[in-house]
This record gives sequence, C-alpha cells and structure tokens, in this order.
Amino acid sequence: MGAVTGGIAAVSAPAWRLRLPDNAVGILLIAPTVLFLLLCFAWPVLQMMALSLTSQVVDGANVEGWTLGNYVRLFSTDLYVRVLLRTVRIAGAASLLSALLAYPLAIAIARGSPRMARWVTVVVVAPLLVNVVVRSYGWSAILNRTGALAWLLKSSGLADNPTPLLYTEWAVLIACIHVYLPFMVMPLATAISRIDRSVEEAARIAGATRTATFFRILLPLSLPGLSVGISLVFSLAAAAYVTPQILGGNLSPLLGTLVEQQIVSLSDWPFGAAISTMLIVIVLGINLVFLKLVNRRFARWTGSAR
Amino acid sequence: MNNTLGWPLKIVVAILLVLVVAPLVVPVLMAVSDTPNIVFPPRGFTLKWFTKVLQNPEAQASFGFSLQLAGVVTLISLALGVPAAAALARYEIPGRNLILGLVLSPLVVPLIVTGVALLQLFAMLGSRATFMQLAIGHTVVCLPYMIRAVSGAYVLVNRSLEDAASVMGASPLMVALKVTWPQVRPGVLAGTVFSFIVSFDDYPISMWMADGAHFPVPLYMHKLIELSFDPSIAAVATLMIFFALLLILIIEKVFGISIARLAT
Repeated sequence: MGAVTGGIAAVSAPAWRLRLPDNAVGILLIAPTVLFLLLCFAWPVLQMMALSLTSQVVDGANVEGWTLGNYVRLFSTDLYVRVLLRTVRIAGAASLLSALLAYPLAIAIARGSPRMARWVTVVVVAPLLVNVVVRSYGWSAILNRTGALAWLLKSSGLADNPTPLLYTEWAVLIACIHVYLPFMVMPLATAISRIDRSVEEAARIAGATRTATFFRILLPLSLPGLSVGISLVFSLAAAAYVTPQILGGNLSPLLGTLVEQQIVSLSDWPFGAAISTMLIVIVLGINLVFLKLVNRRFARWTGSAR
Repeated sequence: MNNTLGWPLKIVVAILLVLVVAPLVVPVLMAVSDTPNIVFPPRGFTLKWFTKVLQNPEAQASFGFSLQLAGVVTLISLALGVPAAAALARYEIPGRNLILGLVLSPLVVPLIVTGVALLQLFAMLGSRATFMQLAIGHTVVCLPYMIRAVSGAYVLVNRSLEDAASVMGASPLMVALKVTWPQVRPGVLAGTVFSFIVSFDDYPISMWMADGAHFPVPLYMHKLIELSFDPSIAAVATLMIFFALLLILIIEKVFGISIARLAT
C-alpha cells in the first residue's frame, strides 16, 4: 500500500521537480526578467535621480558634488514655476473633467443592456489603438482656425470669427481628456458593476429619484474606481509630451517638453534629470494620495462594494 | 433592468460617443479633399494623397521599421515574460512582492522619464546601437503588459486537470503541452497582441533614441505634422486609423480578446 501511494506521488510530481527544489525553479524562471528590469530600468532611473543631486551646470560647465541647485533653480525661476503649475493645473483639470464625462459612459457600460455595454466599451476603448499622435492631430484639425469647429460655429451662425483654440491651454486640455478618457471610464465601470443592484432598486422603490440614487448610492460606492481613474489620468496627463506638443505648440509647454528642451537642445543633463525626478515625485504623490489615503478613508463606506 | 437608464442619460452618452469619435472622423474627411491645403469641409474627392503617402519611401521605411521593432520587442517580451509569469503564478519566490513591484513599476514611472534615464545609460556606455537601444526601451514598457496578461491566465489554470493527466501517465512535457498550454494560450495571445501594439505606438521612449535610419511611425507622423501642410498628413492619419480598426476587428473577432483590457 505504501509503495502504491508512493508510486502515485512520484508520478504525479513532474520529474524535473524531483531534481530541483520548487523554489529554485521559480527563481530560475523569473531571474532573467528581474535582472533585465534592474539593469535596464531601475538602475538607470535611480542613476538619473542621483545625477540631479550630484551635478550642476554652471556657465556651461559641469560642476560635480552634492547640490540642491537644480531644484532651487526649478522652483525659483518664474518660467519653470509657470510650467510646473500649468502641468499640475492641466493634469488636475483633465482628471476632474474626464471623471465628469466618464460617469455617464461607465453607467451605460455597467448598467445598460449587454448590447449597449458592448458598443459603448468598444467606442470608448478603440481610440487607444489609434496612435496618440493621430488622436492629437485629429483635435488640431478640429480646433485650428480653418478647422471643423470654426466651420461649425460659422455655419450655424453662433460666431462669425471664432478665436481659434489651437495652441492654447484649452486645446491641450481637451485633447488630454480625450486621450486619457478610457483610463477613467474602465475602472469606474468596473466599480459600478460591482455595486449590488438591489441597493439601487431598494432606493428607487423607496421613492428616490434617479439623481438621488446616483448621488447617494452610485457615487459614494464607486469611489474606489474613481480614485484609480483619477490617479491614472493625472499621472498620464502630467507626463504627456506629444499631445501638448501638437496642440499647445511652444506657447504652452508642460514639464515633458521642458525635459526634452533641457536635454536635447541645451544638453543640461542634471537639470533635465531634476525635472524628470520632479515628474516621478508628482506621479508617485498622486498615486499615494488617491490609492492609499483616499481609499482607506472611504473604506468604511465602500467596504461591501469592493 | 435596461430601464434603469433614463433617456437623458442615453442622450448624454450618445453625445459623448460622438465627441469620442469626432477627432478620428475629421482626418478621414480631410484626407479626400481635392485641395492643396487642409480645409474643412473637404472639397471634391480624390485619393491622390493616399497614393502620395503610400509611394513615399520615407513612410514605407518607417512602417517597415516599426513592424520589425515591434516584432523583435514582442519576441523578447515573450521569452522573458512567459517564464516570469509562470514563476509569479506558481512558485513561492523570495521577495515576491518586491519583484511584483519591480515588474509593474514601468507602468507607473512616466515613460518619458524612463526614456531619458535609458538614454543617459546608453550615452554613458557609449552605445551607438540604435536598434538595440530602442528594443531594450520598448521591452521595458511591454514586459509588464505581457506578464500581467500571462500570469492572469496562469492563475486560472485548473491544477487538478494537470494532476489527473500525470496520474494517468502523461509525461511532464505532455502535461505542459496538452493540458497547461491550452489553458494559458489566451493570456499569451493577449500579452503578445498588447505588447506589439504598445511597441508599435510608442512615442515617449522612441523620441530619445531614434535616428534617421531608425525612425518609428509615430515619430514620422509627428514630423509630418510639423513640416507639411497638405492633406497627406490627414491621409497618413486615416491609414493609421484604418490600421487600428483592422487590429480591433482581428483582436476581437479572430482572437476573441476584449480590447477593454488595454485600459485596465
């Protein structure tokens, strides 16, 4: 009997597992990926952050040694502070406005008929497969002086000589909302579809209006999805390069453009590294605030819906 | 419960969907305009801008290069990512959470920053191998998508089927090929498709390392927007939009992968 069960155990464990302990197999399988990412991702990023603290360009010459000079320059130069504020402003506005626009779409996906859910999902997500350069170009074709919006306003008699939006912050904001909207809609739709429908039904039966049901039930219970969406859209918009470049031109650059200018045009690597580090700090900060703090805060309300 | 959606909501959704599609439709309309400049509404009808673009050797070279790069990057991501995903889903690895953090962090760090950091590394090493630089940069970004998709499928594998097969006398190789692989395949397929798309569409990594001989499509498109003013830009945009539509059709109908997973 012992021999029989022993035999089955030996057969059911694949032969190579007998030779190597499980641990070793796992480590061997994942080692190449870990090495690759340490060498080609973690190390260069840390190296760059270090560069922003250990080197500074003074009068065109590289000065080595620990310094906060790059950051002092970033926060004390009017031009750079304006770019920093613009970046935070546009990323903030993009995440709030896209949340506003995403709710109806997410509700349609989570609560609509299967056919409606499918169509809304495909139309919302499909633009992700179209290159971001093309999507930004599409907006520049709509917003420029002879573009589709100007034509629409003129031919409908709403405005005779509309001010073109292209190369303004508004254009950057509109395109950022469009480009990153799917990252707001999908987490929201997931969060809403996890809410027990009977809670809404109960509210409706008890006489709550649709609006009241939204504000008292859907909105609070979907907050985990909202915080995922906001941190995604904020992070992506804050670090955007192509969209602001195409729609804002050189008149409203964001931090990404600033990094490119410092490194490609001016070869000021330490300062470029400082702005890049700033971008990482902003993105990690917003993720921390929304994914950790906000979720913990609202965990009491949303405990059952997560 | 379809009646939970009132008609005001349906109207708002319809308007929003029109706005989502508008910037993809306008370039298509402009691309057929028989005018020397880009105008809206388009006048006349011509396909000459398409022939002009399709015959342009620079455009052809960019397209070919992007395909080649995305292909190589996807192969490397498969080679690194599939075993890594298996390890994460199946084995007890020391420092598992740290490793998971490392694997997913390229999705958190802004791409433009990853690009600068790599450029600095390559400059320090004195590397001039542009193709290899681009392939490494893209792989850093595509790998998380691959590992996420494959490990998602691995976790769902029914272990008792594997045990049953080996009790019945199947060799480990047979179990892997006939029992495990069919269950993991959808994840590998999704990872392959996503990694190809992410590489093909990448701008913020490529912009640091590309040169004239290695010039991916998104960079070419941006250059065209800045340098030319005739409807051939709209024609390139249109071609890329149709390319994306074709991709969506293939992904959803042939592979049966929901593209919604790209946004989650």
